[in-house]
Amino acid sequence: MIKATSPCWTRRQWMAAAAGLAAPRIHAAPAAPSSPVALARCPAYDNRVLAGMRKMFDQLGGIGALVSGKTVAVKINMTGSPRDRTGYRPAWDTRWSHPVVIAAAVHLIGEAGARRVRILEGSTEDDHPLEENFLIGGWDPADLLAAAPKVEMENTGFLGYGKEYKRLKVSDGGLVYSEFDVNHSYSECDVMVSIAKLKEHEQTGLSLSLKNMVGIVPGTVYGDSAGYDQPAERPYGALTMFHKGNRQPPEGTPPEKDPQSSREPGYRIPRIAVDLVRARPVDLAIIDGIEAQTAGSGASLDAGSPRKIRLVNPAILIASRNPVCADAVAAAAMGFDPMASRGTPPFENCDSTLELAEQAGIGARDLKKLEIRGATIAAVRTPFR
Amino acid sequence: MPESIPFRWPASWADAANLELLKGAPIDCIAGDAPPPFSLGGLPFVRLDKDRPPEGLNLQEGVWPGVVAATRKDTAGGGATGAAWVDSNASVVRLAQLRKPGKMVWLTYTPPAGNTVVPLDGFVKPITEAEAYGAHWVIALDGFFAGQIAKRDEKALGQWQRMMAALRFAQSRRGQRPWEPVAPLTVASTFEGDDKLLSEEFLNLAPRRHLAYRALLASDIGARSFAGQKAVIYLENTPPRGAVLASLLEFAQAGGLLIAPLGTVDSPPEERRSEHSVRRAGKGRVAMPLQKWEDPFTLVDQVHVLLSHREDPVQMWNGADVDAFYVASPNQDRAVARLVPYASGPTLPITLSFRKTYRRARVVTLAGEKAVQPARGQLGTEIAVPEFTDYAEVELED
Repeated sequence: MIKATSPCWTRRQWMAAAAGLAAPRIHAAPAAPSSPVALARCPAYDNRVLAGMRKMFDQLGGIGALVSGKTVAVKINMTGSPRDRTGYRPAWDTRWSHPVVIAAAVHLIGEAGARRVRILEGSTEDDHPLEENFLIGGWDPADLLAAAPKVEMENTGFLGYGKEYKRLKVSDGGLVYSEFDVNHSYSECDVMVSIAKLKEHEQTGLSLSLKNMVGIVPGTVYGDSAGYDQPAERPYGALTMFHKGNRQPPEGTPPEKDPQSSREPGYRIPRIAVDLVRARPVDLAIIDGIEAQTAGSGASLDAGSPRKIRLVNPAILIASRNPVCADAVAAAAMGFDPMASRGTPPFENCDSTLELAEQAGIGARDLKKLEIRGATIAAVRTPFR
Repeated sequence: MPESIPFRWPASWADAANLELLKGAPIDCIAGDAPPPFSLGGLPFVRLDKDRPPEGLNLQEGVWPGVVAATRKDTAGGGATGAAWVDSNASVVRLAQLRKPGKMVWLTYTPPAGNTVVPLDGFVKPITEAEAYGAHWVIALDGFFAGQIAKRDEKALGQWQRMMAALRFAQSRRGQRPWEPVAPLTVASTFEGDDKLLSEEFLNLAPRRHLAYRALLASDIGARSFAGQKAVIYLENTPPRGAVLASLLEFAQAGGLLIAPLGTVDSPPEERRSEHSVRRAGKGRVAMPLQKWEDPFTLVDQVHVLLSHREDPVQMWNGADVDAFYVASPNQDRAVARLVPYASGPTLPITLSFRKTYRRARVVTLAGEKAVQPARGQLGTEIAVPEFTDYAEVELED
């Protein structure tokens, strides 16, 4: 459980908790669901990725029943500027979902009978077609568009190809937000796939398939460019509204539930991630841990960070129908305890998204309750600290 | 005179003693509003009168180059989209060269006055920036620097020597002056009238988005070939007519992308892209804005998307405040990408990716040079450029 002694609680929350109301507190679901997790060694971004992922999907019981005849949204991770690299290493190798992994997933989803596959990511700095941001990052998107029949891409950081934003409701009412306005792509899909990178995050400890979903919101509504009367036309800037709660979304967009709640990023972002996953559930989580970086989710760390980015080669792929289960195995593969709470690495300065997601009933994080198929964690563990 | 390198004599240097400093330096004339009241030891004096420039010169004021500091401690100044605001002379020089070909551009700005303090090591960048674009900066010291040199302060003299070394470096590259920019886009405009600000700012801001361009006066459309160009933007809000329109449409019909103001053609659009409606024209396309062009920074981005980043002849990573001016020899077998950083201090490690394949490459900085092995990247030939200050260039050979 998230401890009631969490230092980020406001006086109001303390009083609510003391009164038994426990306003921001989430009671654990009686038994968070668990799904098998496929864990595979994959040493490089080559043709072994497709073979490995095919085997992993088989280990999960196949994906045909999930995707056949469906429109499948594939939320990838392209955090930060496409013009930044960690040293000389392309972002694909360090902090982004690698195109070879995306292409393999798209190919297999198409092969399993998906009617349409839509690769999605929201830029926080432009309203380019997503294809252009692949090019800016240094990758030809043609590979991905040809990976299966009827593959499309969309930059979901703004209205994109939609005419209006679509509203997603958070089941159970939400922790910070009860509803979100998003690009049409996230409501006009039958299946949601989250393809994340195996990485840490300065403010949430980990950035895996759950945290990846924070990127489904448009910067025009929740980013620094958002207007007060209405969404901006183009996105730019960070999601400061999410991180610091410095303001509410534009008029007409549902505000957060309690503007008096903690403004601390380490309190807010894990909860918002959980809210978003409950608003747009993840049906298939894939984590690219073939190559990665430690310490942070961007090409550089926050000023004053005592840590240094280190390039690592965990050489693994993880997949599960449940994002919490996938992330728990990923955390363990990174050398962390998925049962850790605030104050324990990697959650030194934040609440655990895994813990909150488990309490919200999204999925189980206790390795003892998880069935891991393929490699063992002990065989693949690559300590990030 | 055009090849002379000018130095503005500091007001505080009241006698000729400091002429000694210029012995052996690549400076070969004194420039200013009025000559100092003593003999210049044989050095010519050039009066900086913009209305009556000396023969062969084109005097432009320019700005002190750099990233504009913000009032807050933790951030640089920003443009409308949050990108750092850069004061650059690149477009001033290139436009001056376009308007008066064959004349050497001298930038006459002086160090910032008021509360702005220029560190002594900040005087190299104005030299390297001007020289990268084929111009000279009229070297000007501020009061502090001039005073320290007059006192023969070791640090100040060391920085002076760095400045002179930067000039010698640039002199050694004079043979590259005729090299032309490698760019898929021609920006054609009168650069005058109601749209002067829009067109000039487009040129100024294009490097912020790493959009490579060639500039062309509207009056020269038809006289200059668009061979090798992927796109032409006719950057006026009044549609082209007559022979100008015919030349531009000919380019589009042959397979190019013409980006032109509202009302240029009236055929029905096939698609909407990047706030423009796009229609077929022969083998090519014509894109017109949905609304009149107003914001040059947004327009640069829209044009880049219309053209596609796939057409970038060079891409750069970790160089948000760095201009990459990429020029090639007339027969294209040699090329150089001149890297001009605008922030102070060392750059990050930069990666350049060239669409063209080169067999040999050297990274040259003011501190030395190093052969580097071009690596095959996903979209082209990648070159790793280590951290540097003030200036670097990547020399390339087939």
